[in-house]
Amino acid sequence: MEAPESSGSSRSNMVQPTSWCHPAHRVHRFFALLLMCFLCFGSYFCYDTPGALADNFKNDAHLNTSQFALLYSIYSWPNVVLCFIGGYLVDRYFGVRLGTVIYMTIVFIGAVIFAFGVYINAFWLMILGRFVFGIGGESLQVVVNNYVVLWFKGKELNMVFGLQLSFSRFGSTVNFWVMEPVYRWVATYYGGYERLGVTLFLASLTCFVSLICGVILGWMDYRAEKILGRQDEQSNSEPFHLTDIRHFKSVFWLLSVICVAYYLAIFPFIALGKLFFERKFDFLPQQANNVNSMVYLLSAALSPFFGILIDKTGRNMTWVIISIVTTIGAHFMLAFTFFSPYVGVVTLGISYSLLASGLWPLVALIVPENQLGTAYGICQAVQNMGLATVIIFAGMIVDKYGYLMLEMFFLGCLFVSLIAAVLIYIIDSANNGVLNMSPSMREAVTTINKETDETANLLDHEDYTDQEETDSRRPSESLDQSINTRDVAQEQSDRIRSRYLAQILPSSNVSERQ
Amino acid sequence: MHLHSLLIVFLLSFACGQDRRITPVLNPGCENCSTTLVYIKADGSQDTVHQLWDFTRGAPTIIYLITKQSTPLNISWVDELPDKFVLPEKPVYSFAASIDKLQEYNDIENNGHIDNKSPQRELPLRHVWWRRGEHQLSGKEAMLHMRGHFEERRQRGVLDMKLDLLPFKDYAVDLPHLIHTANSTLVDISLVNLTSSEDYNASRFAIHFLMVSTDDRSDSMTYSMRKSLDDEHTPGVFEIFEIKTPKSSRSDDGGFLQFRPVCYTEPERSVSSSTNAYITNFTRTSLPYAGTLRDFYRTFDGNNLLVQDMYISFGLPGDGFYRQHNYTSWSFTIGYGVPPVESFSLFVIIIISIGLGVPVLLALSGITYVLVRRCKQRNPPERFTDDE
Repeated sequence: MEAPESSGSSRSNMVQPTSWCHPAHRVHRFFALLLMCFLCFGSYFCYDTPGALADNFKNDAHLNTSQFALLYSIYSWPNVVLCFIGGYLVDRYFGVRLGTVIYMTIVFIGAVIFAFGVYINAFWLMILGRFVFGIGGESLQVVVNNYVVLWFKGKELNMVFGLQLSFSRFGSTVNFWVMEPVYRWVATYYGGYERLGVTLFLASLTCFVSLICGVILGWMDYRAEKILGRQDEQSNSEPFHLTDIRHFKSVFWLLSVICVAYYLAIFPFIALGKLFFERKFDFLPQQANNVNSMVYLLSAALSPFFGILIDKTGRNMTWVIISIVTTIGAHFMLAFTFFSPYVGVVTLGISYSLLASGLWPLVALIVPENQLGTAYGICQAVQNMGLATVIIFAGMIVDKYGYLMLEMFFLGCLFVSLIAAVLIYIIDSANNGVLNMSPSMREAVTTINKETDETANLLDHEDYTDQEETDSRRPSESLDQSINTRDVAQEQSDRIRSRYLAQILPSSNVSERQ
Repeated sequence: MHLHSLLIVFLLSFACGQDRRITPVLNPGCENCSTTLVYIKADGSQDTVHQLWDFTRGAPTIIYLITKQSTPLNISWVDELPDKFVLPEKPVYSFAASIDKLQEYNDIENNGHIDNKSPQRELPLRHVWWRRGEHQLSGKEAMLHMRGHFEERRQRGVLDMKLDLLPFKDYAVDLPHLIHTANSTLVDISLVNLTSSEDYNASRFAIHFLMVSTDDRSDSMTYSMRKSLDDEHTPGVFEIFEIKTPKSSRSDDGGFLQFRPVCYTEPERSVSSSTNAYITNFTRTSLPYAGTLRDFYRTFDGNNLLVQDMYISFGLPGDGFYRQHNYTSWSFTIGYGVPPVESFSLFVIIIISIGLGVPVLLALSGITYVLVRRCKQRNPPERFTDDE
């Protein structure tokens, strides 16, 4: 059925858009969405295998907490830089399809090396495996985001991003559920570190499944490109300039501070959480895993809904501040009470998903569209840098000063992000910024200012503050200047938007034609 | 809860007169003896706490004796062994703990702790020969390090004990950083290179404690497990075990033993070398026929003397048993009064106050700033109207 369609573009062009085989058809796109979700599933599943089997790593492979934490940080280290490079390579050389397959292969190889390292109990090989796994993992995320934008921009993009996040978390959650039973099953056939190695080999199979999804998706995309004729626009795209970073404003950098500081209180906590629940709350390993997986589970379930909530209500900064404050409350509860950790962890999970839904769209409001990739890359990269250093550091804190101090450290990070959030709020409201507006207000602003003003307004707010302090003649001059820059920005943005529209929404054109 | 515990610590440090003047003496009345008995007199503002650390008869024994202020205790000796302990008047209270034997058990089920089902063998310490190591007996610190060797040919290995009394409240230098006070002594015990029985392939060792107190003999010691929020001093261990004599549970002026359920399998104590310690239930018993305990409590009323025993055992399922490291060390404190309660360190309090204070300050100043800005914008300065 599919062979004749893919054989030639002339013939596949003849496929009716109403057929579900047509790339513009809803069913077709959602099949692609499913593949995209499973594309990330493998890497997220394998990312957290050490966390789910923490005890077994300590007992079977005799790793101490610092060594164990290194398994996580070695994943993050390469990505301090590779998020940039990975995305750039895809833009310039590989293209999305080849990029996906390459990165997915790297992820798979990394997972296998890691499993083999455990199987022969060689710590350096484990580290190497995690390193290779990390090289592929984060860049894979970038490519998949490209895929999502390519297929869903202007359609269900927000929901799809939410769903992507959900599915990634789902991968981790399933991992926390499944690994302990799988390990027990394998333990009936193998002993010592070998049983751990075999368990990890089984886990790496998920990466192989993801790889197959990547190949199928690549083929589907190739076919869609032929049918919809996307190729021309793609070659027109201009590479981003790294010098653009200079023009990012202080609000953006404060936002990246939140990206780093807030996530430091989540991911390292999950990585070290299992033993914390066992030690402090006397949980059995399986129970501790269940609690630990609550954060991911909740974010998987709630992310799309919080996305919708924030879409409806706007006021992102208020939501961000609320979620940081509730996260602080959750960590307080875990650190200073003996209440069931479920209470704290559920609060943590809810606040985390709320923050994720509120925070990431803010970048798009602050940074012009043509710099969005770089901006997200920076956020991701600094976040990785923070995670890489801190997971080692967190392991040392636990070994040396205990879990209370670890919680204190997390609280410290949260306080930093709270300060940053409050600062953004102040700067933004002092400039009548858009960050904390409700959707209707934003719409009002955009209709008046022809859309680009909102970004220009934010980007230039520092100039404005200067202007008001100056004498009476300067404002008119600089106003002209800023109008000029706004025009330029608008022009640029419009061009890009039309490019994206042409690229991404041929399906809508098709249906209009119909 | 936090304030509450702080308040308690604060009040106690006043009430108990934590600062005592200690005068330790080695072998009082038999200065040239090669045996070891350290007598420490700790004078407080209300009473005097006498402590005896006795190694003269094999089983290490720690005896506490509380009397009115400045009551002297005289010891008479026979053949380098303490014979009579003479007090001019009736003591207020007394309690003691003695390690009279080690118990080797074959942990077939590999669950770590000792239980009645596992095969066991006694290693009485009656004939252990103790050699005095480094010691410091001054007004600032009383410290004694003893090494015990088994005299039997078959049983090799060393029982290492270190007793330390520092007359102020602080955390111990080594893990698990127990709290010592002027009223309590810190004791470290290490079982080094003990030979285990050949027919046991899952050997572990437990310590057998004899505990004595001058309470009604029908009464019972109590032990409780307390959970603290703070594992800063013992990373990963939130529990504290306390054994209290009946008087201590009633009125907070009896004796106690305090320890964390953790022990270490390497001389360099760290989290990675830590493993579990367990306590068994108490059983009622009587004083041994011979030994310092019998000599000391000879003159006391038998109906008013509670004697109980229990085991402390060490290990974790799957840790490779004692032979894996041939080393186990464990610490406890023994003392008089209320067991010390740990409090949050200054660091924790500083972080919280800064962390909460700064955002609030920032928010307040931010609100004022924004309000001022808004006002300015509503009433624009004249320069703008001029322009237009």
